[in-house]
Amino acid sequence: MRATKYALVLFVFAAALPALAQVPYQRVVNSDSEPANWLSYGGNYYGQRFSGLKQLTPQNVSGLKMAWAYQPVRPAGNVETSPVVVDGIMYVTEPPSTVTALDAHTGAKLWTWSPILKNVVAIGLFQTNRGVAVLDNRVYVATIDAHLVALDAKTGAVIWNTVVADNKMGYAITGPPLAIDGKVMIGTGGSEAAVRGLLDCFDAKTGKRLWRIWTVPAPGEPEAATWGGSTPAGGTTWNAAAYDPKLNLVYWGTGNPAPDWNGDERQGSNLYTCALLAIDPDAGKVKWYFQFSPHETHDWDASEPPILFDGVVKGQPRKLLGFANRNAFYYVLDRETGAFVAGMPYAKQTWAKGLDEKGQPIVLPDTGPSPEGNLVFPSITGAINWTSNSYSPLTKLFYVDAREMGSYFVKGTNTHWEMGKFPIGAGGERALSGDDAYGAIRALEATSGKMKWEFRLHSPSWVGTLATAGGLVFSGSDEGNFFALDAVTGKPLWDVYLGSSIRSNPVTFSVDGKQYVFVTAGTTYFVFGLP
Amino acid sequence: MKAIRPLCVAALGFFACVPAALSQIPRDPTPVVSKTSPADIANGKILYEATCSRCHGLDAGGSDGPSLQGAPERLGDEAMGGIIRGGIPGTGMNGFGSLSADETGQVIGYLRTLGHTADAEIAKGDPAKGKTAYESSGCAGCHIISGEGGGAGPELTRVGAMRGPSYLRTTLLTPGAILPKEGGAMERGRFTQFLFVHVVTKDGRSVNGTRVYEDSFTIELKDAAGRFHSFKKLELQKLEKLPGKSVMPSFKDTLSATQLDDLVAYLSSLKGAQ
Repeated sequence: MRATKYALVLFVFAAALPALAQVPYQRVVNSDSEPANWLSYGGNYYGQRFSGLKQLTPQNVSGLKMAWAYQPVRPAGNVETSPVVVDGIMYVTEPPSTVTALDAHTGAKLWTWSPILKNVVAIGLFQTNRGVAVLDNRVYVATIDAHLVALDAKTGAVIWNTVVADNKMGYAITGPPLAIDGKVMIGTGGSEAAVRGLLDCFDAKTGKRLWRIWTVPAPGEPEAATWGGSTPAGGTTWNAAAYDPKLNLVYWGTGNPAPDWNGDERQGSNLYTCALLAIDPDAGKVKWYFQFSPHETHDWDASEPPILFDGVVKGQPRKLLGFANRNAFYYVLDRETGAFVAGMPYAKQTWAKGLDEKGQPIVLPDTGPSPEGNLVFPSITGAINWTSNSYSPLTKLFYVDAREMGSYFVKGTNTHWEMGKFPIGAGGERALSGDDAYGAIRALEATSGKMKWEFRLHSPSWVGTLATAGGLVFSGSDEGNFFALDAVTGKPLWDVYLGSSIRSNPVTFSVDGKQYVFVTAGTTYFVFGLP
Repeated sequence: MKAIRPLCVAALGFFACVPAALSQIPRDPTPVVSKTSPADIANGKILYEATCSRCHGLDAGGSDGPSLQGAPERLGDEAMGGIIRGGIPGTGMNGFGSLSADETGQVIGYLRTLGHTADAEIAKGDPAKGKTAYESSGCAGCHIISGEGGGAGPELTRVGAMRGPSYLRTTLLTPGAILPKEGGAMERGRFTQFLFVHVVTKDGRSVNGTRVYEDSFTIELKDAAGRFHSFKKLELQKLEKLPGKSVMPSFKDTLSATQLDDLVAYLSSLKGAQ
């Protein structure tokens, strides 16, 4: 009897799972046609974080209950993962660089893989991981010591493991790879260690490097003229990207120049830092760039995940790109040409009078760091940081988690720096926090940035947004509230207290015809559904 | 139960994390002791700014990471040293095992200089007479010192280590005039402490109290009798935050100038054991 029962359990388990999660490139391209799955970091290549699932609605969302929870054995860092869900299997990451496959029905662990990490160098960043890419029968993850690894999706076995860059120099990776047709791209962090920013592309099958783009020039190259004679450094590519399969362009943001808060020795615009790069992935060349914050001294990386959408501007249908920048401005660009279309602040900012007709900031005097500390909005951590926004093609709204917070920016006196070391005495911030700061979920008209509604948060959050066809927007708070808002009005419809800070982008998926919502809080991974 | 939830969470977080942090083995096994000479503090500042300020802010007031102001006073040198060198698993706090015990002590010594409401005034009264004034004024009805007294107000066992005489005097005369901003070691930004809040529920119930906890959906207050009250913000018709007001009475008209000096001297002497 016992053996029979065991066999039955095995049979049921096997029946509940697909034979093998096969995700050919075309499946990711057409991911909007199968909303049960969440096939890439941003939900689709456009990075919209919009789900076509409609089961959860403003009318029934208040009935959400916890379906399951998963807790890593001993996570060594902040949990900031955003999962990929394929045919009933959820691929999550755990800090610093572990990948785990979970049964999306139950939360049961199917396999887990961890790299062997020794003497990791992580300067100016948390040792965490934000997610994987899935292509064909492989799961791709980048590690904190700057490797890119291909794992077998069924077992977690290593297919290949390639060094992207030298971790001892300060290169470290927390962001998700981007997997497109036969290629896997990955950026790195390390601007605070003054590394030279790069973006690498590898052959998905073999792990062979196909190309590298340096985001800042070597001394003597033409762009070096924008660095005032100093050695260009920084401009790292540490967060998620977006991809337009038809235009065959990858959109990737770059971080701050180094050293950070004292730009005296790097006079000029410091190309291509704090910029968005549009890259032809076949040629490995930058087709166009748009620099948001020339000669940046506030640590306002342009690393936020871009969102691609099609909209109508002045009566003309346009291929657009929305970008809520850490510098507190929302930008709309033509994603074919990089031309500036519109832009305006989405959070308090005191450093620019506005944007000119080309989208360049009209910088106000005396808004840089000073030896005594200069109060400027937004703070170092920015009006948004690494979290992802969402866009609903139904409401045509862009949902952003805005951080209303200022800092006293301090200019350090020491401009000397060494690659791979945090520049001692370069400056930093004294942040206005607590009751002087707050957060908000804001709905912006995607083609202009005009605010349609906001939902105030007690403090600035580190949680992205998720929009659904059912008419909901999900997000969370730093105190640990996970909640759903009406996508049209911003009215709060449901909330639950999860007991610890939420630091992830929520996602939604469906198994056995039932819609679920995922988020993490503290070190626990939660899934909610209707009973 | 709901009202005391955040306190439980904070306590659980603390106990769950610290032993794990201490189980990491720093390269230098010497016990960590605060080093507080001017040279130590100066070096502690350099080490802090190079190692810690990116997450905790230049003034340790919090940024990506929590405020560290007051953390050494709450946790003690050994636990602070364990966290600095071993990290806190499950959080963004990496271990800095490369710091020696002396260097870690210098960082803690520097942190001990930050975030106090210390001031130029030196307590001039008689602490022994101040103790009498404390007892005769009913302070123990609401405050605990070394295990004795009531818990409606904050514990004062170590108030002399955290607050300067001028701050204590102002608070006795006009409670709520200066509200400290602090974050516990496991909390994030510096929220105003002891904020007076007035709420009216939709069914007309009115409650005044000190804010204990607040998030985007709920607020928890502690009234003058020490009772906790839990509210959902959406169910309130009024929520007023009133800095300057306090559930504590003023002692302006009940204490003489001399008694006030004595009471300030007594409170300043309370440096408490860990």
